[in-house]
Amino acid sequence: MSESPRRTPFHARHLEFEGKMVPFAGWEMPVQYPRGIIHEHRRVREAAGLFDVSHMGRFYLRGAGSIDFTNSLITNNLAKLGEGQLLYSALCNETGGIIDDVTVYHLGDHALLVANAANADVVESWIRSHAPAGIEVDNATGRLAQLALQGPRAEEMLGEPFAGAVEAVGYYGYTQVDWRGGQILISRNGYTGEDGFEIYLPVTCADELWTALFDWGQAVGLEPIGLGARDSLRMEVNYALYGNELSPDVSPLETGLRWVVKFKKGDFIGREALLAQKKAGLERTLTGFAVDGKRLPRHGYPIMENGEQVGVVTSGGFCPSLEKGMGMALVPPRLTEVGSRLSIDARGRVIEAQVVERPFYKDGSVKKG
Amino acid sequence: MEFPDGLRYTKDHEWVRAEGDEVVFGVTDYAQDQLGDIVYVELPEVGAEITQGEAFGSVEAVKAVADMYSPVTGEVVAVNDTVNDDPAVINSSPYEEGWMVRAKLSDAGQLDDLLSAADYAQLVEELGGEA
Repeated sequence: MSESPRRTPFHARHLEFEGKMVPFAGWEMPVQYPRGIIHEHRRVREAAGLFDVSHMGRFYLRGAGSIDFTNSLITNNLAKLGEGQLLYSALCNETGGIIDDVTVYHLGDHALLVANAANADVVESWIRSHAPAGIEVDNATGRLAQLALQGPRAEEMLGEPFAGAVEAVGYYGYTQVDWRGGQILISRNGYTGEDGFEIYLPVTCADELWTALFDWGQAVGLEPIGLGARDSLRMEVNYALYGNELSPDVSPLETGLRWVVKFKKGDFIGREALLAQKKAGLERTLTGFAVDGKRLPRHGYPIMENGEQVGVVTSGGFCPSLEKGMGMALVPPRLTEVGSRLSIDARGRVIEAQVVERPFYKDGSVKKG
Repeated sequence: MEFPDGLRYTKDHEWVRAEGDEVVFGVTDYAQDQLGDIVYVELPEVGAEITQGEAFGSVEAVKAVADMYSPVTGEVVAVNDTVNDDPAVINSSPYEEGWMVRAKLSDAGQLDDLLSAADYAQLVEELGGEA
């Protein structure tokens, strides 16, 4: 049975901007608008863009011990955070495979966990099946909308009360603002390599906030951005994507997420398996490469060595800011040194590539720390 | 979306313009719209033999790569260097500046198998595009 795809509260706005709507993870989402992916990509790098990310799964975890419980599910350490902070983490199964990558907000006595749209159901079941008595798991996906405002001019375009509220908010911090009858959470983070914000709002405020943002954004040339540029922007700064770099068959140690695995924080699901893997050594790790020539590397292309497959391209394509074909791949560690040569099987033809430093794009406006 | 009347079309979304015993062809407005921003095109060499229905090259867009299937059987007599240097012209001008290959037909009758503009527009409509 196929159900008709869900629509976000911004659906009519996407149509108004002539978004090309496609089915994505059970939702109907804009892949691009008429000016195209390369244009949208550059708009975000040079000014500001607005992404509808309301299709992501949003779950509140409440009740006594909810911060500790949430922390037991994720590899990063939520206990080190306080109210007003958030983190990025992997959510692993018992064998250390990645169920999803998530953003978790520390809300004082409870948490908000944000999952990929494609994994929202799996993540919800996983959380519920592990939740002890007294923990309430509240799926807020349908009540909240979510926007990402990204770009070097994202902050300057904001109007009040948001402009004043975000001044003191650092990278991976958030604040909450009362606006036209709704409580709106705004955090400084994103998935593009640029400065910017993620905004969580009641669906009842969706139309008004979209309008306000485009009114304010007129001066900087704010445009809506589709899934296509969301993918090229994140690839260019080597951020991992579920279904590409991340899957239940891959561990965070292998796939570039070692930095979100905190062994010293205490027990969490997958810890033992990941410790064992760390001790045994990794058979494959993530690397980044640039291709020779113009033929583009694509997700799933095999990496070959002496006629045998030794790895796989996890993400690949054209990087609009660097104007070349680049990608990421899972390969044996001996092939990950900068300068190493890779041979990619592109549907029967060979693409030669060279391992390069990551991130590929280094000039983003993101203000870390 | 435009499908000019004087051209013939294939189900694989190529257009063909007959010029004596030669043809010029490329991809349709629908094809370029589906692909999105085109960043690289791989075309055959001049002198290459091409066969109707078989791949003659490929087109790389930001989102995906697609094979292109030859609308005719014959010999390549010219390729468009402009689309090698600036593949985006395929998006902006699929029927004029974005032409890809000029070929000498092995047999003029083969064009009869191709679709008219009206038939192709109907095919696109069935695929959910705006004819």
